[in-house]
Amino acid sequence: MSKAARREWRDLLFMKTKRLLGIVLGLAGFALPFFVQFPGLGFTGHVTLGIFLLAAAFWLFEPVPIYTTSVLVIFLEVLLLSAEGPLFNFAQPPRVPPQMAANPGEFLLPASALLSDTAVFVAKKEGGPEKVAVEKLETVGAQVRVRATGLSTNSAVLTEPAHWTVKEKPTAYRNYFAALADPIIILFLGGCLLADASVKYRLDRALTRMFLKPLGSSPRLIILGLLVATGTLSAFMSNTATTAMMMTVVLPLIASLDRDDPLRIAVVLAIPVGANIGGIATPIGTPPNAIALAALTKAGVSVPFVTWVIMALPIVVVTLLFSWVVLLKLFPARTRALNLDLADEFDRSPRAIGLYVVFGLTALLWFTENQHGISSNIVAFLPVVALPMFGIVGKKEIHALPWDVFWLMAGGISLGTAIKTTGLAEWMVAQVQWSSLSGYGIILGLALLSFALANFLSHTVTVTLLAPIAISVGAVAGQIAGFDLATALIAVAVASSYGMTLPISTPPNAIAMGSGVLETRHLVKAGSVIGLGGMALVLVLAKFYWPLFAR
Amino acid sequence: MKPIYILCVEDEPEVLAAVIRDLAPFEEKFPIESATTVAEARSVVEDVILKRGQLGVVVCDHILPGEDGVSFLVRLQQDARTAPARKILLTAQAGLAATIEAVNRAGLNHYLAKPWQPDELRAVVRRQLTDFVLENEPTVFPYFGVLEDDRLTEKVRRQPLPGDE
Repeated sequence: MSKAARREWRDLLFMKTKRLLGIVLGLAGFALPFFVQFPGLGFTGHVTLGIFLLAAAFWLFEPVPIYTTSVLVIFLEVLLLSAEGPLFNFAQPPRVPPQMAANPGEFLLPASALLSDTAVFVAKKEGGPEKVAVEKLETVGAQVRVRATGLSTNSAVLTEPAHWTVKEKPTAYRNYFAALADPIIILFLGGCLLADASVKYRLDRALTRMFLKPLGSSPRLIILGLLVATGTLSAFMSNTATTAMMMTVVLPLIASLDRDDPLRIAVVLAIPVGANIGGIATPIGTPPNAIALAALTKAGVSVPFVTWVIMALPIVVVTLLFSWVVLLKLFPARTRALNLDLADEFDRSPRAIGLYVVFGLTALLWFTENQHGISSNIVAFLPVVALPMFGIVGKKEIHALPWDVFWLMAGGISLGTAIKTTGLAEWMVAQVQWSSLSGYGIILGLALLSFALANFLSHTVTVTLLAPIAISVGAVAGQIAGFDLATALIAVAVASSYGMTLPISTPPNAIAMGSGVLETRHLVKAGSVIGLGGMALVLVLAKFYWPLFAR
Repeated sequence: MKPIYILCVEDEPEVLAAVIRDLAPFEEKFPIESATTVAEARSVVEDVILKRGQLGVVVCDHILPGEDGVSFLVRLQQDARTAPARKILLTAQAGLAATIEAVNRAGLNHYLAKPWQPDELRAVVRRQLTDFVLENEPTVFPYFGVLEDDRLTEKVRRQPLPGDE
């Protein structure tokens, strides 16, 4: 067999083994809570644990696409945890309508329907059963006569109020599907549409030219310009989209260079590095940031758009400068001049002007959130309405939105919700002796874990798996000095963006490798140095800077 | 990623050498194979090109010993594995009938008359390789620098923007 064919077989076998392992572990993890009773954890907590283990295995080993796992999570929650899903629906105890008794406001009910002498449970159209207060008047054989203002002959009174389906308090299924339109998803949707429109009107190319033209032809300055331009674009476009766009700019640029001039490598590397780092700057820069914000919101901690930027910008700026130094040192340019021939001017057509206005207004409202108090999630819907309304974008751009990423995020958001509401979060935290650790130590550990995982896994999945743990710890925050929930989640999100050591770490890296200009060792060298440098900054900021923003 | 080949079929050695020399700038990303007869070309396609990659562009003379160039191009068009290849006829003597057959039945992409200008041949091959890559390759980033970069760029920009993982 030829070498190439052997390699193909080996890759295929590896993939098939990995996927098989994922399926086996996932199903085992899902089944585990049905066979093992964990003390202190309720029934719904067990189910959620099964879903969490299944999701973790499927996300880690990817037997199916990661967005598929996300919708599977939502579906399992609906089927097994919602009041209307088959599990709770079929298992419900029988219900009877109350019979009218002699006096108005009085009813006859089966005696078994009484929970104590003062309450019954009534099935609602949506959601789990609701408790209704009653006043027991007398027992009449197998029935009781009660007075209740909250009952009518149309009510559906449960005959077994102590039934487990009542105790477990299932929520309405619409709450699980609602993750698909979570306000954070809306925030991301608005950001993506702005990004799509920017590419459509070549705003990204005009901005790049604006950044690079004044820098002349000095290779050192051009590398810096590329880092800054890519980072700026990546702050409001997805890292992957920014990388793809910028590659089309720089690859023609380096065509005239000597094959063995390290400048080629530095130029091409500047793109994924700049994109990964720039994405840290805003909540819409990359999905991990949004997942972190969603988790914080659910835990009652609000971080406005501008606050995130203020917290993140220092680390972004310093890391970009550090990257510049690293790239220059690792790949010193041999040529003295690199001629840029970027032609794109800013589009002056009416629709483009419309885009600038909508974009500027949205950004302005995002940055002044503390002044006007309107949530950035609401502001994000402004471009969703304004851009199509004025014909700046059309159906094509709407169809081209990354729905798979929205689903991926929704799955993570809904899993976080379920973990919290079913008590799994508290139970997970109770398993560890957190009091023996310092608050900062926990944050450190979470951030390092995030960085480590993110080098091998999707960053979004990394944060999705770690956010519930951070939130859980936050639930017992009062007992741990030095632990700030916002700091913890931001540290986890930012650390994940620094996971850029390998080609598989993140799509921008893969795109850069696909150009054929880089060898793996170039990426690994630069990615590991910059990633570790960034992590050092995370640990410093988590100790001294981010806790300043705690409320 | 499977390499994309350029195949040159020409029976006069000096002419073949000239074609290969003119196409040298493409060789790094698009390996060049050659043949002097259709029979040899067919075996090169079968045993080398299709085993390791795909046929991207054929630059073919018409008057050849044995089977002629147009009939070879027709056979390439009829085989699903080589139908996507872009076909260029480089010839001094192809009559109208042969040319019509090449257009209608071989899906001829370009007719270049001998003698040719090196720059023109390169421009034609660059155009055809770009067409092939745009139509057949899932990712175009490896091909920047030697093809028509602005068309490759437009393809990237027109695709739906990824949202990150």
